[in-house]
Amino acid sequence: MAVAAVHAGGIADHIHPEPQGFVRKYLFSIDHKIIGIQYLITAGVFLVLGGLLAELIRVQLMNANGGFMTPDTYNEVYSVHGSTMVWLVIIPMLTGGFGNFVFPLQIGARDVAFPWLNMLSFWLFPPAGLMLYGSFLMGAPAAGWTEYPPMSLQGQAGTSMWCAAIFLVGVSSTLTGINFLVTLLKMRAPGMTYTRMPLFCWAQFVTAPLLMIATTALGAALAALFIERQFGVPFFDPTKGGSPLLWQHMFWFYSHPAVYIMILPVFGIVSEVFPTFARKPIFGYKMIAFSSCSIAILGFMVWAHHMFTSGMAPFLQLPFMVLTMLIAIPTGIKIFSWVATLWGGKIHFSTAMLFAIGFIATFTLGGITGVFLAAVPFDLHAHGTYFIVAHLHYVLVGGSLMGIFSGIYFWYPKMTGRLMSEKLGKWSFWLFFIGFNGTFLPMHNMGLLGMPRRVAEYDPQFQTLNRIASSFSFVMTIAILLTIINVLYSIKKGKRAGHNPWNARTLEWQIPSPPHYYNFKHIPSVFANPYDFNEPLPYRGLEEELTDSPAPMGAH
Amino acid sequence: MIAVLSVLSILYWWLMAPITSWLPEAVDKAQQIDSLSRFLLASGTALFIIVVGYLLYFSFAFRRRKTDAPDAIGVQIHDNHKLELWWTLIPTIFVVIMAVFSIKIWAGIQLGDNNGMVVEALGHQWFYSFRYPDVHGEITNEMHLPLGVPVTLHVSSYDVIHSFWVPDMRLKADMVPGIINTLRFTPTRPGRYQIICTEFCGTLHGEMNKQYVVIDTPQAYKKWYQGWQQKNAHASDAIPTQSSGAISLAGGDVNAGKMLFTQKCSACHAIAPFAHKVVGPGLKGVLNDPAHPNLVDGAAATPANVAKILQQGYKGDMGQMPNQTANGLTDKDIANLVAFLKSTK
Ligand code: HEM
Ligand SMILES: [Cu+2]
Repeated sequence: MAVAAVHAGGIADHIHPEPQGFVRKYLFSIDHKIIGIQYLITAGVFLVLGGLLAELIRVQLMNANGGFMTPDTYNEVYSVHGSTMVWLVIIPMLTGGFGNFVFPLQIGARDVAFPWLNMLSFWLFPPAGLMLYGSFLMGAPAAGWTEYPPMSLQGQAGTSMWCAAIFLVGVSSTLTGINFLVTLLKMRAPGMTYTRMPLFCWAQFVTAPLLMIATTALGAALAALFIERQFGVPFFDPTKGGSPLLWQHMFWFYSHPAVYIMILPVFGIVSEVFPTFARKPIFGYKMIAFSSCSIAILGFMVWAHHMFTSGMAPFLQLPFMVLTMLIAIPTGIKIFSWVATLWGGKIHFSTAMLFAIGFIATFTLGGITGVFLAAVPFDLHAHGTYFIVAHLHYVLVGGSLMGIFSGIYFWYPKMTGRLMSEKLGKWSFWLFFIGFNGTFLPMHNMGLLGMPRRVAEYDPQFQTLNRIASSFSFVMTIAILLTIINVLYSIKKGKRAGHNPWNARTLEWQIPSPPHYYNFKHIPSVFANPYDFNEPLPYRGLEEELTDSPAPMGAH
Repeated sequence: MIAVLSVLSILYWWLMAPITSWLPEAVDKAQQIDSLSRFLLASGTALFIIVVGYLLYFSFAFRRRKTDAPDAIGVQIHDNHKLELWWTLIPTIFVVIMAVFSIKIWAGIQLGDNNGMVVEALGHQWFYSFRYPDVHGEITNEMHLPLGVPVTLHVSSYDVIHSFWVPDMRLKADMVPGIINTLRFTPTRPGRYQIICTEFCGTLHGEMNKQYVVIDTPQAYKKWYQGWQQKNAHASDAIPTQSSGAISLAGGDVNAGKMLFTQKCSACHAIAPFAHKVVGPGLKGVLNDPAHPNLVDGAAATPANVAKILQQGYKGDMGQMPNQTANGLTDKDIANLVAFLKSTK
């Protein structure tokens, strides 16, 4: 073990030999890049499972009187679907997956601050997933991903398993948050000041404290629900002196910031993809970074907008309504800045760029309906209906998932050294975009006209709209499968990518694909913002990266 | 072109396609909410058209062409403070306008006094029941309301959380066990309107939409109401409780009772002489007051009879007191409360 260099961050640069053998290299790896890919693959498997459940939902809803499943099975299906998508797909992909793989490379670090902790974070995640799906054997949770008591107190045995599973992913998230925050604070390469960090790093920098702080509230709530279900200590049961609203407050104190955990990293992805393919600096770098910060802070002060009809004191509704509306301002600034980045560009429509542009369109619609819902009088009508389902899928599927797909097409060459098929990618994008809007746009109407959410059967007047939605959902599923096929196919058959196929300017693209075990032979130094396309690259010390000169001890 | 489209969208939502063409407005509050919804839909659509319009326009206009060199770059600008100021300022002003408009409508809906006729709706797995003043027992099929008379609707639940939503009223309140939520409105349009549960409440949640609010002319309402008064003349008012039978009062804890009293009782009762009425009578010394040897229900003022009122609730001239289940009291809580009441002299 040798200390090879001490760089400006002040943390000693320990170089260990690269582990050999499958288990230490790929299974119990401490390399942030391998861990990132592990997250992406595991979450990808859950995306398939969650997608399967989604299709079961849409098949059930083809007919107004259901009939494909019993109502009890239906309730289990959509509850596990929601829990999967939030906790086993989107959050792990964006933080554990892209976060782990990308940002340490972008700040010029050899790894995250606590590699062993990082491995622990990952290994908490597959067992949690197995537990959630194992709960089907003992009666799965059935009160939605929000599991409001007293309903969840009546739930089957699997509801306790749900508590434990989500608790585990929660611990995993919290540890990841700590790890990322310390890494970003302490391990930036010399000269990588905060205003020179790529915006994806900013996105992770703002997400990390949310992971750390908000998730603890969820942990406490889950522990309380588990204890009440198993040992009868009444936290939430009103007939024993508990308060059902206590759960709602604790749940949303986590879950509202959690929606930003699910979107801020996507803002980061889009902020990398746009300049790269428009060949222009990102417009309003500082405003984008600053607005992320203000969104994160405001995000902690608006949770009760999910509870306007639940019986909170009317006067408490006011601050929550106004603060929620305020979030529209920083969100708008971001959207305008992205659109302005396109102005005067030389736009290359790669699949990654198409998904990023599609993201802007759908996320804008989701954000606008979010502001509607912030207005208490509108929410009195729309709460608990398919309008909410439409809003949340516009921001989570049209927003987060499209962003994730953009990120996959963008960084896949860095992860594997190969390009994905652009032809298949474009098919995937267009089918996704059409299928997605066809599925979720009609849900706005259903909700406003009177269709409640979480129902296994519904009033026949909504059957046509539901059949439209179900049909388009199959198109969307095909689109997702095309991308998954593309990922698998391109590992062996994809064109060799070279180290920088997109001609991008951030640090990760200046080193080989896939990068060495320790990322950089020498830690580079940075002397400007990465996005000036008319300037030479703002890095020093990268000369040997693409040559055959020896890597740090043990790295290849 | 983008500007024209957005103006058209505003006109469309404002004039041509108000929500009312799909869903009638059954109560006064629905009109207020719709005016806000029209504003939101119109401005939201306009904003959407502007953003997506520019997105598409720029994507088209600034695409890389065949004639461009492969390494061609775009215009290298980083920001434009004037532009950024505008697109911060205009949305801010817009948010302020929207907030003011929303608050105005909000105040009209949420801040009224409880007046007019008082009706209660209660959620069960999986149906609603309704209670009317001076009608014994509960009505479990339809809820009738007279046209033009202000209504104060209290909602709560017997078991899990349900919700009371009538899309034609645009109003909704969750029915949370142990909490009473209130909606206030005046029916303005006769008809039958579906009541729908929007808070997941178990297996048959999806079927909790089979009951209706019927808005009648005052005469028809009166007939319906009197019919129920007669029909239910002998029905029991006692709300069924989960625990039945006498409660053991041994070991009641005065301090715990005092705390519970502030939490659960003090909204309606003061620790003051009998005549000091808040909603119900003052309770200072109920068990030791020679001037009032009897409780409101006529039974002797003994600990057991006080416990019975706490257990079963009470309904009389002054109004209605929730029972043990609705108030979220355990048997032990009742023992503690009785001990506390006994200690007040
Ligand atoms: C301008 C931004 C946004 C605003 C103003 C906003 C506002 C709201 C409001 C007021 C609700 C509650 C509606 C109700 O339950 O009655 C809601 C629900 C929801 N929002 Fe947003 N939202 C915004 C962006 C987002 C984003 C970015 C995400 C996720 C990526 C998101 C995810 C959700 C989810 C999942 C729900 C439904 C939760 C449930 O009941 O299951 N929202 N939003
Ligand atoms: Cu929220």
